[in-house]
Amino acid sequence: MKEIIAIIRPKKVGPTRNALEQLGFNSMTATAVLGRGAQRGIASEVRAELSPELLAGNAGGMKYIPKRLVSIMVHDFDVDKVVKSIIEVNQTLQIGDGKIFVCPLEDAIRVRTQERGESAV
Amino acid sequence: MKMIRAILRPDTAEDVAEGLADAGFVSMTKVNVFGRGKQKGITVGTIHYDELPKTMILMVVEDKDVDVVLKTIQDKAYTGNFGDGKVFITGVEEAYTVRTGTKGL
Repeated sequence: MKEIIAIIRPKKVGPTRNALEQLGFNSMTATAVLGRGAQRGIASEVRAELSPELLAGNAGGMKYIPKRLVSIMVHDFDVDKVVKSIIEVNQTLQIGDGKIFVCPLEDAIRVRTQERGESAV
Repeated sequence: MKMIRAILRPDTAEDVAEGLADAGFVSMTKVNVFGRGKQKGITVGTIHYDELPKTMILMVVEDKDVDVVLKTIQDKAYTGNFGDGKVFITGVEEAYTVRTGTKGL
């Protein structure tokens, strides 16, 4: 089992959910988070001519950008499919599209039935 | 790669973020969370606070950078009192950048 953590644009949660639903992955958890990437917030995220001083000091920019953290638990063999689909939906080719992390997941328990392991995902 | 989740005081979180940025780790995610530790919250007078506001900083770094990040967090978040927070480190197998679709941080 793997946990796929994707940090994406808030606007793209709906399309991502729909795309995953069509693949048969209905369950997901989304959280509103704040974040920044290698560009240190928003000053250099917009495609506009900004003076170098503005970019250097990051003045008037936004330190953190609102994002959605989406966490999906999947079986090992589904990882590639899900990652590919998330990338397809979220790609706008602009900085700030987000990151996807694949983490190992040791165990899963379904509270209602107390199933454990693969069948609980 | 490792995922570092640091649950810190909201007022030190900004210092930690700045410290990490100075050390070269700019990318991070911040989440406002509520939680309690071993002390079961805090009691002030007759009022018991069960869950305290905390800020969780989530970042993914290469294995070799873990020590530097931990040291930075320790330096900036330390006050010596209960409630300074905890840091958890978990494994990350793969990372993708959505814009380019490439693997890696």
